[in-house]
Amino acid sequence: MTELVDVVLGGTFHAAVLFLVAAGLQLVFGVQKIVNLACGSFYALGAYFGITAVGMALKLGMPAPLFFPVLTLAGLAIGLVGLPIERVLRTIYRRDESYQLLITFGFLLMFQYVFRFLWGATPRSMDNVYMAYGTTQIWGVRVPTYNLLVIAASLGIAVALGLLLERTRTGRIVRATAENRDMAEGLGVNASKIFALVFTVGCMLGTVGGALVVPSSAASLDMAVELVVEAFAVVVIGGLGSMRGALVGALIVGLMRAAAISLMPEMEMLSVYLVVVAALILKPAGLFGKATA
Amino acid sequence: MSIPSIDISSPVRAQRSVLRVNGLWVLLGLLAIMALLPMVASPYAIILMLPFMGYGIALLGFNLLFGTTGLLSFGHALFLGTGAYTAAVLTFKFGVLSFELLLITAALISGLISLAVGALCVRYTRIFFGMLTLAFGMLFHSFLYKFYNITGGDQGMRVLRPLLLGMEWRGGKTAFLTGPFYYYALALFALLSLAMWRITASPFGLHLRAIRENAGKAAYVGVQIFRMRLAAFVISAVYGGIGGVILAVTTGLADPELAYWTHSGNLVFMAVLGGSGTFAGPAIGALAFVLLQDFVMSITQYWRFVMGAVLVLLVVFMPQGLSGAAEFLVNRRKGGR
Amino acid sequence: MQPDRIASPVGTPLFETISVSKAYGAYMALSNVSFSVSDGEFVSIVGPNGAGKTTLVNVVTGLLRPTVGEVRFLGRDIAGVGPVELARRGMSRAFQLVNIFPALTVRETLAVAVASRLRRISNPFRSLKRDDALQADVERVADVLGLRARLDSISSTLSQGEKKLVDIASAFALNPTVILLDEPTSGVSTGDKHSIMEVLVVAARAAGVRAIVQVEHDMDLVERYSHRIVALQEGSLLADMPPDAFFADPAMISAVVGARPQTRRRAP
Repeated sequence: MTELVDVVLGGTFHAAVLFLVAAGLQLVFGVQKIVNLACGSFYALGAYFGITAVGMALKLGMPAPLFFPVLTLAGLAIGLVGLPIERVLRTIYRRDESYQLLITFGFLLMFQYVFRFLWGATPRSMDNVYMAYGTTQIWGVRVPTYNLLVIAASLGIAVALGLLLERTRTGRIVRATAENRDMAEGLGVNASKIFALVFTVGCMLGTVGGALVVPSSAASLDMAVELVVEAFAVVVIGGLGSMRGALVGALIVGLMRAAAISLMPEMEMLSVYLVVVAALILKPAGLFGKATA
Repeated sequence: MSIPSIDISSPVRAQRSVLRVNGLWVLLGLLAIMALLPMVASPYAIILMLPFMGYGIALLGFNLLFGTTGLLSFGHALFLGTGAYTAAVLTFKFGVLSFELLLITAALISGLISLAVGALCVRYTRIFFGMLTLAFGMLFHSFLYKFYNITGGDQGMRVLRPLLLGMEWRGGKTAFLTGPFYYYALALFALLSLAMWRITASPFGLHLRAIRENAGKAAYVGVQIFRMRLAAFVISAVYGGIGGVILAVTTGLADPELAYWTHSGNLVFMAVLGGSGTFAGPAIGALAFVLLQDFVMSITQYWRFVMGAVLVLLVVFMPQGLSGAAEFLVNRRKGGR
Repeated sequence: MQPDRIASPVGTPLFETISVSKAYGAYMALSNVSFSVSDGEFVSIVGPNGAGKTTLVNVVTGLLRPTVGEVRFLGRDIAGVGPVELARRGMSRAFQLVNIFPALTVRETLAVAVASRLRRISNPFRSLKRDDALQADVERVADVLGLRARLDSISSTLSQGEKKLVDIASAFALNPTVILLDEPTSGVSTGDKHSIMEVLVVAARAAGVRAIVQVEHDMDLVERYSHRIVALQEGSLLADMPPDAFFADPAMISAVVGARPQTRRRAP
């Protein structure tokens, strides 16, 4: 029974982080019609940078419990790297999908070596700083309070994102541009600015996700590609272009992965890839998707 | 408005260019020059050409999938891995040293694995296909790592020197690699190029191109989409496996990093650099890559980062690659459009 | 004006739909549609947008399975058969929106179809260029549709009308028994429309096509070239009659086209 709870809690934690990245992916796809393979790179970037930022802050005498806001801010800050990247992507918006696959893959490769160069090949971790919040008892299992914080934060962001898109003027403009770029431009919308905004927000969702996951796990060179594959599984299950799908898909993938890990603990990496294949065999059409392969 | 072609490498021309027909000759010409290389170059340079040949062969297969059929695989290095490990298992574990047997077995095993993997992957296109191949590539990499009892884990597995045409080479490793093995690999490359040329110039190849151009319409003119794609996938895997054997014999080692996704990225990079729209393009990309990598070896870290950046720049500014650009320039000179 | 007739006696239907209905949930796209096409006929399917013409065509070409009813081609059931099998059995289809292989030449486009028909795919090493029988067939189809001059042009560089012709030509290259054209003259200028139709009819005769079915909006073309008109309205069969009878009935015309404008009042 405790194992089940373990799996559920662990899976939900992972799903919370996965959802952030997937939401970023869906947002960018919904508006720019681009599938950003480099989302994994942003995730890893947030993780590595988060470690560095918190490490530095601790050295400068920051009290441990403040690490959460520092981490989040670090994640948001490094997300700004999305701005220059979006400028490059602009050149291929209206071109065929093969271009976009190749370019974002190029970014994925580039970042891989940036990570290796800046942070080395061995995984980095944050030395239990997250235990500053202690543990909580849920359903007979002790979990780090930090994990629950992250789940709550992720839900909060999901709600905020939804409200932003549905209720605010900017949100409406974003949705209009997503539906029909040319028409929105005809109505006076500066599509370029919207694209830059959306992409950067999408990027930040990724970097924050990576930053938040790193305290209780680690940042490694494999993070980026693993996440791309997982995000793909989320998209397969939840459908491309749907926020609800991102939520449901992230939950399912997170839980499936946690279950796979508890059954074959050696096979953590393997389980991710198996989850993808399983997802495809079981749900090739997606649950809410608007686009197909 | 007509459907834009997904062939990223071809600019719009009114007539088919003359140079396109001679792609095979370009490649064979290159290989002929390589045959003369041992007379003028240092052993180091000659050995450097061996990975070029391994990659070149693998890229012939990769481009059948990408340039001809329009399927971009991010996991093609999987078959470099299957080829290399087949060579390792056969020579090291079973003492089978016939190079011909290594090639045939690697081809068979790569083909069988690709049949299973492809049956799932080719049901999808574009991003989904790319992601699936990425996932399978990494799955294989994980497998190589985790099952270290069989595969040697991150240490890899040794590959012993094979017998070429039944003959054993009793001399040193360098002499073997720069002598008989070099010419054998060259001849193999030439033969496989000829075979691939025939494939792309056949009605089968035409059907593949039709699928790339407009899969929906292709079905309506009788093209069996799934079957064709799967066939292309298997053929590309066979070529990949053979390339892997050459790589493995050259280094004497089958390494799990051969199947890592960045290695697949190398293949993509080579194809785009050389030009996926021409027959000789990918091989030229392989040559450029091998030379550049060696030249910039002293600043390795920067080189790898630059590679990703160059890929991005290529896609933006020169998606037809080196050979495509060359073809364009030559045609401009000749006055054709 | 007398429609050109593909001379042939009327016999057993080449294809027929028997009480076909297609439902999407509660929405009936087609209700109880039965019609047949026989040797030598040129049948036009007409109807306002949303009448179910495209659905009918998709059912008839084996792309969709009817919810109720049967579709038979040459006596055999073709429900859900799929485009490749359909082509093999002898029915080919050309599309409304221009559907080409952008980077392939006209010759290559036709060769794709001919290669399918002649089953040249099993050996990946045989030569395309030196396959005389295949190339001869390609040239024959090109001749019949007036595309000889364009054989070595790349498809994306052709004019709109030429692209349409290539699309139709590739349908012809399958040597079909029945050819189905989805708005063959849409997006084409009026002058070109008639020339395409003329080419079509002559080509069909020359190629041994036994029946043509088209979906068309242009009623002038329909009146001039069809032997029969099948009119759909909101998923049901409204009429199945020769053009003379159809156009003699104003109720028919208004149902399909909308009311014909009243004679203009003279300006004072």
